[in-house]
Amino acid sequence: MQNQLSTASEALSTEFKPVIIRLENISKVYGIGETLVHAIRDASLTVEQGEYCSIMGASGSGKSSVMNIIGCLDRPTSGHYYLDRVDVSQLGDTELARIRNIKLGFVFQQFHLLAQLSAVENVMLPMVYAGVKPGERRDRAVEALTKVGLANRLNNKPNQLSGGQQQRVAIARAIVNRPVLLLADEPTGALDSKTTQEVMDIFTELNESGITIVMVTHEADVARQTRRIVWFRDGEVLHSHLKPEDINQLAVS
Amino acid sequence: MDILESIKMATTTLVANKLRSSLTMLGIIIGNASVIAMVGIGQGAQKLASEQFESLGPNVLFIIPGNQNAQRNRDVPKTLVLEDAEAIVRQVPSVGGVAPQIQTRQSVTYSNKNTNTQIMGVTPEFLPVRSFNVAKGRFFSNQDVKGNTQVAILGPDVVKKLFGNSNSIGERVRIKNISFLVIGVMESKGSFLGSNQDDTVYIPLTTAANRIIGRTSPYGLEVSFISVSAKDANSIGAAQFQISNLLRLRHKITTEDDFTVRTQKDVLTIVGTISGALTLMLAAIAGISLFVGGIGVMNIMLVSVTERTQEIGLRKAIGATQQDILIQFMIEAIILSAAGGILGTFIGVGGIMLVGAVTPLKAGISPVAIAIAVGVSGGIGLFFGVVPARRAAQLDPIVALRSA
Ligand SMILES: Nc1ncnc2c1ncn2[C@@H]1O[C@H](COP(=O)(O)OP(=O)(O)OP(=O)(O)O)[C@@H](O)[C@H]1O
Ligand SMILES: [Mg+2]
Repeated sequence: MQNQLSTASEALSTEFKPVIIRLENISKVYGIGETLVHAIRDASLTVEQGEYCSIMGASGSGKSSVMNIIGCLDRPTSGHYYLDRVDVSQLGDTELARIRNIKLGFVFQQFHLLAQLSAVENVMLPMVYAGVKPGERRDRAVEALTKVGLANRLNNKPNQLSGGQQQRVAIARAIVNRPVLLLADEPTGALDSKTTQEVMDIFTELNESGITIVMVTHEADVARQTRRIVWFRDGEVLHSHLKPEDINQLAVS
Repeated sequence: MDILESIKMATTTLVANKLRSSLTMLGIIIGNASVIAMVGIGQGAQKLASEQFESLGPNVLFIIPGNQNAQRNRDVPKTLVLEDAEAIVRQVPSVGGVAPQIQTRQSVTYSNKNTNTQIMGVTPEFLPVRSFNVAKGRFFSNQDVKGNTQVAILGPDVVKKLFGNSNSIGERVRIKNISFLVIGVMESKGSFLGSNQDDTVYIPLTTAANRIIGRTSPYGLEVSFISVSAKDANSIGAAQFQISNLLRLRHKITTEDDFTVRTQKDVLTIVGTISGALTLMLAAIAGISLFVGGIGVMNIMLVSVTERTQEIGLRKAIGATQQDILIQFMIEAIILSAAGGILGTFIGVGGIMLVGAVTPLKAGISPVAIAIAVGVSGGIGLFFGVVPARRAAQLDPIVALRSA
């Protein structure tokens, strides 16, 4: 019933906004033989341009699995995934790399900055793979770091930055190639509440400037700051269009 | 991503891991330095040997007992005798000088000192044929040879060992308990093919045969070999031919020769073959160390791939293609090998120059060896870099990112 409703509302909104993510009957099965794990079961989901969306659910419910598929880091076992209207389940490795490079930005719980590079060099890395002219790279990296409030930390190595600052460098790296979609798997999972708020403010700001954002989170306080919540249970989409206010009820139930 | 970017990226990584990079290079450096030094020293030895043979005088021929094909045979026939030498003087017109020689090793004593040296029984002809000179005193005469006199001319090293700085001429030395009067000292000649020509005592041929060695051949006075000088460069071939014919007649040979006549050119060829083989062997040993160095590069690159799995995953997540990763790791391996190769070349060349400065070996700096060594080490980087680089490139981004 709920699913039917949400499908109807989706159909309505497509009239106005282009669809960025369209998952159609996606399944993901890990392992072989006896030890098969059905991480995602026949999940369908649509995200439109400009949305600010969080994915929640119990541990092991398939949140990361679906994020990896959305982020083109992994392929679904079955089903179709249209990213910006391109069926990426049909693409080869090199084309997927290209899509990750220019269409997607990914932020990880563990930051994943390269230790031997400075903040600005880390942010320049995606542009190296994109073939941006060397002269332009630094300007754009500085611009991105300024956007996340780190204009004064350009030349610090990751180990000279706090966790929150490192995550902001990672966000700058994710947005520097001007992606259509910014993805984050528990971006505040390794941060305390104060730095969590710093990072969330940046996400909110980025979304207000027009970037579509999908993030996975465990924290109700984080999810509440987004505008739509998708709830996973046992690899299925249980609710696809919860409002931040609905969270309190769910958390109780 | 272009190749310049990849080189920059690889250099950054290598510089960030200075200790590991330099240890990896060490294998290649040692391999390369030894290839270049070994080949250079081998070639130097070859050149030195050739020069020494050329210094014998260009027209020298050697008659040695035993068949050429049976040189390994320890029982050389005792058929080469003094009378053969005399016959050559009389009957071979293309010959300038003939110097029969008897060689043995004995201990030589003076007062309470003694030294084991080479004893050379010769005739006065030895001096012109082999271009030796007396430095002090005189050489013995044909009279001394006829009369079995007990006189000796000492090499400068023998003098040094037995007499130090004091005068030797007029003193008496003992060989096999026979007393010899020292009448002269030879000019220094240096070593010849590793044997020290200055550590030699020269005595009359007959004295050596009769008093020191004892006559053992039924054919006459047996000699160790005969040095002959041809009249001029054009008569070397003729001399070789005529001497062979004469000796075949004298030795009544119907099937296989019991002697060998070698020209200097023959000897040079043999020396060339031997020292060429030596050079090749040295190069092969050095080549093995280069190979081991290459395996070191592969080993480190494999460790590096394992250690940097997360980095590889991250690079892939932000858009690196398999080819980007492959090229990055290949270039790291190639830079390590090539830089090691170039450093090794400098060290090898330095080693050669050092050897050249402190020994008579004028080791050649072979551009070919350098080109091959640097090329090979670059190739080793390529070859041993492929496996780790492919492994890195084919990592699944998600698996790579998750690895802790
Ligand atoms: N590479 C894998 N191989 C096998 N099983 C896997 C793999 N990755 C995930 N799984 C399994 O798939 C299911 C979903 O995992 P997933 O990581 O998507 O959960 P999650 O919702 O992100 O959990 P968490 O909140 O703990 O991060 C789990 O049962 C997990 O054990
Ligand atoms: Mg997860």
